[in-house]
Amino acid sequence: MHELRIAEDLAAIVVEIARKEDLSKVTKVCLAFGQLVQIVPDIFDSAFRITVMGSVAADAELAIEILPVKLRCRSCGNDFSLEGNLFSCAVCNSTDIDIIQGKEMFIKSIEGE
Amino acid sequence: MEIKIMKNILDRNQNKAAEVRDLLARKNVLMVNFISSPGAGKTTLLECTLDKLTKNFKIGIIEGDITTDRDAQRLKRFNVPIVVINTEGGCHLDSHSISKVLGCFDLDNLDAILVENVGNLICPSQFDLGETFKIAVVSITEGDDKPEKYPMIFREAKAVIVNKTDLLPYTNFSNDSFTSDLKKINDRITRFDVSCTRGDGLSGWYKWIDGEIRNRYFKT
Repeated sequence: MHELRIAEDLAAIVVEIARKEDLSKVTKVCLAFGQLVQIVPDIFDSAFRITVMGSVAADAELAIEILPVKLRCRSCGNDFSLEGNLFSCAVCNSTDIDIIQGKEMFIKSIEGE
Repeated sequence: MEIKIMKNILDRNQNKAAEVRDLLARKNVLMVNFISSPGAGKTTLLECTLDKLTKNFKIGIIEGDITTDRDAQRLKRFNVPIVVINTEGGCHLDSHSISKVLGCFDLDNLDAILVENVGNLICPSQFDLGETFKIAVVSITEGDDKPEKYPMIFREAKAVIVNKTDLLPYTNFSNDSFTSDLKKINDRITRFDVSCTRGDGLSGWYKWIDGEIRNRYFKT
């Protein structure tokens, strides 16, 4: 369900950029979502279709990249990937962990003419 | 033509949340965002909590509800300021809706605002309201798999309340499995096992939230 609200904010950004860049048509929108955001790409695509209906981005293709979770131990500096929801450091056992990738909701670029 | 952007899609929400946080810090008001599935017992928890907290503090309530004001009606008897935000189908509150209703409160005369978010474990965890911290509420009857399925809220919450412990004998909820999954995701989270209908375990929660409100003095 949160896909719809995020798609609304995305549509507003895309339309605003198209206006600034004087695009008559947006053909592609490239996005990156962190894995922890739990976006379902197909649902997000459907939500985006609804929010851009009748706008310059109505026919834009969506390219969604899902970014895996990357963690950093604040005690020993070890960088590691999230496996099995385990937010603790395999090197020093610390649970003081920063999420350095995995919560993103980024628009990377748009293409248009 | 390709235009590179690299912009956070939820920038608008984040910026407004930062404004809300700043305002509440200046007014020295703690804001707690309660997040759970529908039916976990957020409103009952608020009933119990208001009963205790209103003896010592001035509390305001923001009730996020999809269409009704039924939860707010249940809290009326405590004579605290309550504002309902109907999301009209939306599955979560956002910082703009919070910012709009803050004007309904006399912030100079409040110690804390308790926000009951819309019942949902995914969406509310993505939208910063400008709160001081989040509380996750889960119940025994939902099953023990919630931390594993919805890690983000358990990662982000300062405390988790496990409600309906009185129903434990009637379910297959595995406390070991829940505890082990929760520990993996957030070993530092504060946990309270309670039954809001029977009152079990609530004294620890009252003491903790009382301390959080008393020690809220923000550095501005």
